Amino acid sequence: MRRMSRRIALVEDDPVLRENVADVLRRQGYETVVYADRAAAQSGMQTRLPDLAIVDIGLGDEIDGGFALVRELRARSAVLPIVFLTARDSDFDLVAGLRLGADDYLTKNISMPHLLARIAALFRRMEVLSAPPVTDEVVERGPLRLDLKRMSATWRSRPVELTLTEFWMVHALARHPGHVRSRDSLMSEANLVVDDATITSHIKRVRRKFQAVDAPFDAIDTVYGMGYRWKET
Amino acid sequence: MPRGAAPRLTIRVKVLLVALALAVIPLVGYGYVREIEKVLQAAHEQSVVATARAAAAALHDRPALLARRAEAGASEPPARAGSAEIELVIKGLRRAGSRIWVIDQDRNLLALEGSLRGEPEPAQPPEGLWGRFEAAVLRPFYALLLERPREDFDDALPESALSAGRAVDAALAGAPSTRWRQTPDRRAVVLAAAHPIWNGTEVAGAVVAEATTNSVLTLRNRVLEQLLTVTLATFVVGAGTLLLFASHLSARIRRLRDDAESAIDAQGRVRRPLRAVADGDEIGDLSRSFATLLDRLREYTDYLERIADRLSHELRTPIAVVSSSLDNLKSQPLPDTSRVYIERAEDGVRRLETILTRITEATRLERMLADAEREPFDLGRVVSGCVAGYAGAFPQARFALRLPERRVSMVGAPDLVAQMLDKLVANAIDFSVPGEPIEIAVDAAPGGATLAVSNIGPALPAAMRDRLFESMVSMRAGGAQGDEPHLGLGLFIVRLIAQFHGGRASARDRADGRGVVFEVFLPAGAA
Repeated sequence: MRRMSRRIALVEDDPVLRENVADVLRRQGYETVVYADRAAAQSGMQTRLPDLAIVDIGLGDEIDGGFALVRELRARSAVLPIVFLTARDSDFDLVAGLRLGADDYLTKNISMPHLLARIAALFRRMEVLSAPPVTDEVVERGPLRLDLKRMSATWRSRPVELTLTEFWMVHALARHPGHVRSRDSLMSEANLVVDDATITSHIKRVRRKFQAVDAPFDAIDTVYGMGYRWKET
Repeated sequence: MPRGAAPRLTIRVKVLLVALALAVIPLVGYGYVREIEKVLQAAHEQSVVATARAAAAALHDRPALLARRAEAGASEPPARAGSAEIELVIKGLRRAGSRIWVIDQDRNLLALEGSLRGEPEPAQPPEGLWGRFEAAVLRPFYALLLERPREDFDDALPESALSAGRAVDAALAGAPSTRWRQTPDRRAVVLAAAHPIWNGTEVAGAVVAEATTNSVLTLRNRVLEQLLTVTLATFVVGAGTLLLFASHLSARIRRLRDDAESAIDAQGRVRRPLRAVADGDEIGDLSRSFATLLDRLREYTDYLERIADRLSHELRTPIAVVSSSLDNLKSQPLPDTSRVYIERAEDGVRRLETILTRITEATRLERMLADAEREPFDLGRVVSGCVAGYAGAFPQARFALRLPERRVSMVGAPDLVAQMLDKLVANAIDFSVPGEPIEIAVDAAPGGATLAVSNIGPALPAAMRDRLFESMVSMRAGGAQGDEPHLGLGLFIVRLIAQFHGGRASARDRADGRGVVFEVFLPAGAA
């Protein structure tokens, strides 16, 4: 075993996709338990929470079964990493999913290597959160501080709650301040396969999160037709 | 209202035609009056006959009155006493408009009393509105229709009637008889009733009572006039009511038609629901069923519009199954000959995913437009930024940008405007002749600004011109030349974004005929 055996719960109603994803996870050494619907997942996770949960939104007859399940899981544990893996790609579902406390929202067209990278990143963040802080892998740009180990961001020393996707976007922008990052490059940095409009709404959400901490925040500049740029202060 | 060149029978015209059935009423009335006239004529005749008989009866067996005259022979002057007495007798029997004369066996006129001419009716000056209307309109109209009895006829006693009248012959022969004749000038009809005067068993002379039919005619005319007035009034009131009703009816139907037509736009989308009226009649029913129909139509078009969305959603899971299977397969030891097929399969899956993303782009955009935020921005800055980006994104293309010197401020969503320009430029690049520049121009226009993207290339296909900005319409020649699937959504997105800003998109051939111009007008509007 390359790594400590971690337990992943996969809740997915399509049997073939479920087995495919489970195979990929198992091959990576994760102990994987699969559930086909909400009831099975609830009873299965009753006694023991997994180390990470991957949940589809539509579960059998329950079109929003995944939302209910995640709400319940989040109520039981504030730190359990939860990932939505769903066919739904509307902004509405994405926002709803992230608001419920999911750590990431992935659409089903994500490739398996990308999925594994996201899972690994979430576990890494978990590890670092429980480990003593290290200061090496840190990006600092003026008031912005990105901790790559913890996947956490602070602005003027105040924490900004970013999802993994948002964190990677901010990281991609802030790594080369002043350089315009196209939407395509942001997408590949954040391992996202969505359209331009979704990138736009992600950026809007990121801006709002920073503005919630610091109202006059305007470090993310829109360069129409090209993309976005981190303004040097 | 008339939409065809051919004249149409509207409901109102039809109802008026139906109202013509009311015209039967005066006809029936006229027939009835004619019947009454016959009865009156008969009664008139009876009374004239009765007059003659009464006069004769008064002169019966009084040979002196007649004989004295006979004795006198032709000598003059005739015995006046007898004549005067006869006149006295018949004077008591005379009525207005009638005349009685008495002749002896030799057809000598013994006495004549009365005149055929009646008293002319005193002309009353018209009183009141109705009276004036009657005098000015109705009377001349009736005069055209009805023959008015005249009092200025020639009432001379024709010699022929005196000497050779068949009635007189019969009376002198001992048989009472009547005869109708016309006055010599044919202006009136005279009824003559002759009755023999008996002297014992022989006929001493005859009484002839004459009267015109004018009194009957006057009576008939008055009845007919009243009948005409009443039926005319009935017709006017009835037809007017029907016309009002028909107008009301056709107005309601027209309103329903206009509502139904304007509820659907040129693309067959239901713009707004039809407001069903509460009326309980058939038109209300029609309106309600139209409303139901439109609701269903809207549900169906909504369904059609959403089907792409649903389709892509439903397809994502099986595609994920395929791609995850391929990922799993790649981790297996495989001969190199198999790898190429895996790569091909992955390529196919990627293309499918691109199609799905494109399909949902329009619906996603529509959703996004619903809650897009508006902010003030400078159109020139957005366009110049975008064009600077295109130079990097499309190194093979050349761009020529023309901006107005002044700021072009407007209120809207700059991200969306940029997205719109992306689509226009992508479209221009696809159709432009390589090496020719793509011209992008922003111009101030009344009430806003225009953004035009022009390229040298094939002209617009005439058949598609009006449909270019619709969903799923592509003017590209079929066949997948590249791996970029074309769904004809680009220009649809342009239209959606233009509409969101209250503007409009249009396409036309270039003035020099060498290519096409796509132009979007954006109002400066305060959102």
